Amino acid sequence: MHYVIRRVGQAALVLAAAFTVAFVLLQALPGDAILIKFESPELGLSPAQIADIRATYGADVPPALQFVHTLLGFLSGDFGYSIQKGTPVTQLLAEALPDTATLALLAIVVAVLLAVGIAALSTLAPFAWLRAFVRALPSVFVSVPVFWLGIVLIQVFSFQLGLVPIIGASPAQALILPVLTLAVPISAPLAQILVRSIDEVSLQPFVAVARAKGASERWILGRAVGRNALLPTLTIAGVLLGELIGGAVVTETVFGRAGIGRITEQAVSQQDTPVLQAVVVLSALIFVTVNLAVDLLYPVLDPRLKNPRHTNARPSKKVGVAA
Amino acid sequence: MPRLNPARIAVLSAATLTAGVLVAGCAATPQTAGAGSTDPVTGGTLTYLEFQPHTSLYPPTAGFYPNGGLVNNVTDRLTYQNPETLEIEPWIATDWEVNSDATEYTFNLRDDVTFSDGTALDAAVVAKNIDTYGLGKTDLNLTVSEAINNYAGSTVVDDDTVTFSFSAPAPGFLQATSTINSGLVSSATLDRSYEEFGAGNAAEVIGSGPYVITAESIGTSLTLEARDDYDWAPPSLEHQGRAYLDQINLVVTPEDSVRIGALTSGQADYVRYVQAFDEAQVEAAGITLYAPQTRGVNNSLNIRFTNPLVSDLRVRQALVAAIDTQEIVDTVFTENYPVATSSLSKTALGYKDESALLTFDPDASRDLLEDAGWIEGADGIREKDGQRLSLDVYVAAPQPLSQQTLELASQQLATVGVELNVKAADSGTYAADIKDPLKTPLYHSMVGRADLDVIKSQFHTLNRNVLLSDDAHLDELLELVASEADPAARLERSGDVQDYLAEQAYVIPLFEEPQVYGAASYVKGVSYESVGRPSFYDVWLDK
Repeated sequence: MHYVIRRVGQAALVLAAAFTVAFVLLQALPGDAILIKFESPELGLSPAQIADIRATYGADVPPALQFVHTLLGFLSGDFGYSIQKGTPVTQLLAEALPDTATLALLAIVVAVLLAVGIAALSTLAPFAWLRAFVRALPSVFVSVPVFWLGIVLIQVFSFQLGLVPIIGASPAQALILPVLTLAVPISAPLAQILVRSIDEVSLQPFVAVARAKGASERWILGRAVGRNALLPTLTIAGVLLGELIGGAVVTETVFGRAGIGRITEQAVSQQDTPVLQAVVVLSALIFVTVNLAVDLLYPVLDPRLKNPRHTNARPSKKVGVAA
Repeated sequence: MPRLNPARIAVLSAATLTAGVLVAGCAATPQTAGAGSTDPVTGGTLTYLEFQPHTSLYPPTAGFYPNGGLVNNVTDRLTYQNPETLEIEPWIATDWEVNSDATEYTFNLRDDVTFSDGTALDAAVVAKNIDTYGLGKTDLNLTVSEAINNYAGSTVVDDDTVTFSFSAPAPGFLQATSTINSGLVSSATLDRSYEEFGAGNAAEVIGSGPYVITAESIGTSLTLEARDDYDWAPPSLEHQGRAYLDQINLVVTPEDSVRIGALTSGQADYVRYVQAFDEAQVEAAGITLYAPQTRGVNNSLNIRFTNPLVSDLRVRQALVAAIDTQEIVDTVFTENYPVATSSLSKTALGYKDESALLTFDPDASRDLLEDAGWIEGADGIREKDGQRLSLDVYVAAPQPLSQQTLELASQQLATVGVELNVKAADSGTYAADIKDPLKTPLYHSMVGRADLDVIKSQFHTLNRNVLLSDDAHLDELLELVASEADPAARLERSGDVQDYLAEQAYVIPLFEEPQVYGAASYVKGVSYESVGRPSFYDVWLDK
């Protein structure tokens, strides 16, 4: 319990730090969204009119006060308005979050399936050349740019073969290609870690014992090796979240999907500070939550960590001996 | 614009000869390309791919193409600018009177027009619209419209008569009432704040136009549905009554290859923004290209003459002579982007040919630079008093293929010993630096608008001020364009400005900018308002 409280406290600290650093960095950028939007010669506003606008947006308030104001707003759930679009940031995020969450969750599921499939085939496939080929796949996947993959998938499966429409697709159809695009690069590091852990665990004495007792390769992989190889993979899964957010930006733009990634891309290009601040805090929140969940999951997967003598210690992230 | 509406037939519409305005009507006879029905068919859904999401439906912000494309189809205007002749014709206003010094305009309105929420479009709501656009509403963050100058206020004479008055002559106002920046919206809509016109509120912005926005998914898609009871199209159009299409699905598709691929593979019917390098591929797939001109200030490099490096007239003339615009158009663009021959487009009101002062002549350019004391240094770049003739220019995101254009210009300038550094920046740095003549001695910009005031908007120190000018004489010339009450004299005043800009070599005009659209061959009745925003009113599907 003590451990849980400490981890939650750390998570809150990370969030506060993310908020502050984001605020300072966004303030330090040259120009601001009001400059970009209203002082753009396109609108042809006079300097006096622009001064009025700056005042109504509170842009003439000293940064320290703005910080307090923004922080209080965030604590009460008010993220302000997008300067570029005029829409409340909460509304923007609320409309975009379900789409991105569906895309991300499905992509993770597909990525895990891909990774497990690759790992299983890499040890169980019949021929040595086939195993070698499967083992090479993650290196290929990891080096494929998401942007390029998305465009190739669209060109081939939608425009050439006409299998899935991109424009006017049903919600399910609209997910197929984006999920694949996002899953491939995420599956790569997962598969790499999984394959390596399986190799390492396979060399452990207890595997030799099981094999000597007559266990089949499939039983060994499923019961003895797999469970032990899962811990490092789980750790990397938490880290992969960053990859997922980056991938979502590109995937959503290429496929023209509404989502957090798309909003982020637009907000960055227009320096839409309120949106960026909220996106940073939201990403930090998700990151912290997932990593917290991963840390709390360790004791479930590794019974040694349930031992009260170990709860104060940092959980070991690599486990080589079976329970 | 060779491909724009070739089959349009101008007819004289006697019914609309009012207030002494000669009206040249424009029949919406659909193009008969090969086989197929020639009678417009009512019904069907059009899938339209937009390049960027709209940001606001507040009509004065409609200059941004995604905003303008929507405002043009969901609102009507007091007057209609014929996109062929640029004449101002009746629309919601049946006729109008202007006093001799253009300080007072009285409009008589149709009495049968309603907004899509059922409220009447009467003199009071028209007054509220123009008051808002002419004066702004600071408490609601609603800005003044760039198109309306010297506005003083309105008087509602009766239910269908309204008078607008101005503190100084405003000869441009009649045209301003025809632009999408003056789109008429309901009274309740005008009580919304600027934020409430933003993305996510599109369905609540109520106009009286042929289409109504019925659904919006922020940043990705919009649904427009035809109004069954629409019956007040500009009288000069042959097509009256409701729009032909039932529905338009607008999908935001930012990625070029996806937009073009969806069009050529039949997943979409009509797209905005076909890049110059995609045009050949799109035409090869049997898609019709449309390239309406934007009819304003040409796509140009503006020379910020307050920067000491370019304060000498001879240096500016040398820059103009060193740029081969024909090569830029041939290399980077297509025939839809004609070479510029003045600061204004040939299709703009008041255009005057200045090509004699804009000829490409690298030898003359070198002579001018020698004369001005700039001598070639060791690295081929000219120097004077230890200073290199090295100029910076930012890639301008809103301009088509800005980077490619500027890089080619840079190569051309290098041959006469001038260094042009093409820089790219984030939009914050860009927005700040383009206001500093020392950081951006050259500025790449254009503005599309079919009125005489456009030149003042672009160059006057109190408007866009793209030259960051301190030239009081230029301002005077520009003010004459905006205040001369006599229409013929106004055209001459615009010519004076173009003469002066060319003589002073303040501007290097590059090309006349179109908006390039692609539509499947079965999409008929494609038309545009006078600045190239799509009008879906006449569009029908021949399939």
